[in-house]
Amino acid sequence: MHGDTPARRSPPAGPALDALARRGLEASGLPQLVIAVSGEVVLASDGACALLQRSRSQLEAARLDELVTTTDALTGWIERAIDRDAPESDLGSGAAISQLDLRVGDRVVAAEVQCESFSDDEDRRFLNLILRGADDLEARDAMRTARLAKLNLLNQVSEALYGAQLSLPQVLESVLIAMTAGQGLRFNRAFLLLVDERTRSLRGEIAIGPSSREEADRIWTDLSEQPTDLYEMMTSYDHSLRQTDVAVNDIVRELDVPLADENHVLIRAMHARRVRHFTERDAAPGLAEVQRWLGVQRFAVAPLATRRGAIGVLIADNAISGLEITDFDLEFMQLFANHSANAIESSRLTEELARKVLDLRKAQQKQKEDQQTLLRMERLSVMGETSAIVAHELRNPLVAIGGFARALRRNLAEDDPNRQYADIITDETARLERIIHDLLDFIRPQKMMRKTVAPDAIVQEAVRKMRPTLESHGVTLELDLQAEGAEVHAHPGEIQQVLQNLIFNAIQAQPGGGRVQVTSRVLEGGVMIQVADEGPGIPGDVAEKMFSPFFTTKSAGSGLGLTICAQIIKAHGGVLRGENLSEGGACFSFILPRPKDDAEPVE
Amino acid sequence: MAKVLIVDDEPHLRLLYETELRGAGYQTMTASNAEQGLEYVETMHPDLVILDIRMAGMDGIEALQRILDMDNTIPVILNTAYSSYRENYLTWSADAYITKSSDTTELISKVKELLDAKMIES
Repeated sequence: MHGDTPARRSPPAGPALDALARRGLEASGLPQLVIAVSGEVVLASDGACALLQRSRSQLEAARLDELVTTTDALTGWIERAIDRDAPESDLGSGAAISQLDLRVGDRVVAAEVQCESFSDDEDRRFLNLILRGADDLEARDAMRTARLAKLNLLNQVSEALYGAQLSLPQVLESVLIAMTAGQGLRFNRAFLLLVDERTRSLRGEIAIGPSSREEADRIWTDLSEQPTDLYEMMTSYDHSLRQTDVAVNDIVRELDVPLADENHVLIRAMHARRVRHFTERDAAPGLAEVQRWLGVQRFAVAPLATRRGAIGVLIADNAISGLEITDFDLEFMQLFANHSANAIESSRLTEELARKVLDLRKAQQKQKEDQQTLLRMERLSVMGETSAIVAHELRNPLVAIGGFARALRRNLAEDDPNRQYADIITDETARLERIIHDLLDFIRPQKMMRKTVAPDAIVQEAVRKMRPTLESHGVTLELDLQAEGAEVHAHPGEIQQVLQNLIFNAIQAQPGGGRVQVTSRVLEGGVMIQVADEGPGIPGDVAEKMFSPFFTTKSAGSGLGLTICAQIIKAHGGVLRGENLSEGGACFSFILPRPKDDAEPVE
Repeated sequence: MAKVLIVDDEPHLRLLYETELRGAGYQTMTASNAEQGLEYVETMHPDLVILDIRMAGMDGIEALQRILDMDNTIPVILNTAYSSYRENYLTWSADAYITKSSDTTELISKVKELLDAKMIES
């Protein structure tokens, strides 16, 4: 085939042909000639070059009568067609078919010609001659060449559709680009309608195509500068082009036919085995409506069928160029529709599979988390039982040691140096007893006595108690309480204990001094209270264990603080969460529920 | 002088409580198990009983019921390492429930409170 031919004669002022028609025709495998009013050939298709065995520049320099032996009927038709004053309706919008002889080299070949007239922007009239039915071998070769080109294209399309792991919207878009692109099937506009199982209807999904001739010219010019490889073209179909598709997408969104409307032209076309071509001569239920939607009389509908059934239709027309949709076009549209249907189906199945895999993964993750929770609870319960026994066994000897240390201290004179030692024994046993007390508190099933209280008041009280500790550690406190007037159902003493513990942890996380922020916020189900610090945050390996009994990062401490806090919040129907802030530091938060009707009085 | 009976199977704790109570001006007697404690209640009529709960043989909860069956005017303080027994309603008939601590202040003051109240009643 010829590429650009620099020697191509550009017709003088009179005969001109806009870029759109030129692009549409030149690459056509059909042997086509476009004749101007003057009788000059202004354009010859690749197919015509092949059939007449002349280069495009030779053809485009010739007059029609040098190329063909015209018949009277054809001559008369041409005369009428190129008569500027003859109204278009006289010609009939259909095509005139006539016999003629072609001069191919030295031979004369019998052929059939289909003629159509059309006008360009400036109302210059042209005649499009489609030569066909030639039983000459050369002509058949030309058809074969054209067919091969289209098959090659189809191959490219299917490679593009299957090879690139496209998402469903990408597949849909690619189908339409291939339908309309210069390198593709060259329809002006294409519309894709898919079956929507939810609404049980055939619905417009997406469309591509210019809404006016100017726009069409611009797009085709843009596209001609792009690589001819369809795959690249599909992937580089950029946003500026998409914006021009607003009009056609408005059209496509209106297309919505219930599947139950079995006689509707589109539903029938979907269940048909082959592509159908509709013209103004046809009549079918719903056809007029579709023609009104599309704004054209002539369009083609190809069923999108997979082994599992019909999934939609592909509609194409030449609304802008007005070119006839040929059998050749239809044949390829059919082939292309089959490919598209399978590509759409496969993309859908792939997405469905991906979704299922994701669901499965989520379920696995959940199961893993549940297992971890279960393990943690089991560990907690074993730990709880064991520690209860150990704690009780330790309590009796500690009481004896501490008790006698106190007695000893009392019996020693004020200035006796041993008095200090007795003090140490007393203090240390007291500390051990406190740990045991914490532990047994945690193990003992708390009978919660809760009442309706103001959360901000609890925070204020906890903060008041912690103030001296905050000051002595050089930590400033920022209070941001916004739960005034709110009420929660809680045990104030226990929540205070939780807050004091969290504030104490926050202080310890900032040994060099820093800032602790305590906030309260009213949420839907209750009030959220947060304690945030500016320390190093919770290390990754600590996050998992920090609510476990006896786990501590401190050199002194029972490792029960957060465990007890978590238990208390849990008993209140909430969850104590610890997380790291993106700006640094750790944040512990919990939610206290709103009061219910069965609130018990506090003891 | 009021007599306080201490029932506990830990000899060191018996000694600690005896020491502290005597220091506070009470007469004391001790039993190392519940059975012996019940016998002393019957024969020696203490004014108050400090009763451990977890002991070998009969436990303090059963001993409490038996003491109250014998004489329900005797004040009984349950003194135990197990704060969880507080949940058991059988312990609720005791006059006081104290968790064992090396700081005996609470125990001594409870003894004093109960004995003073008993004096006023009688």
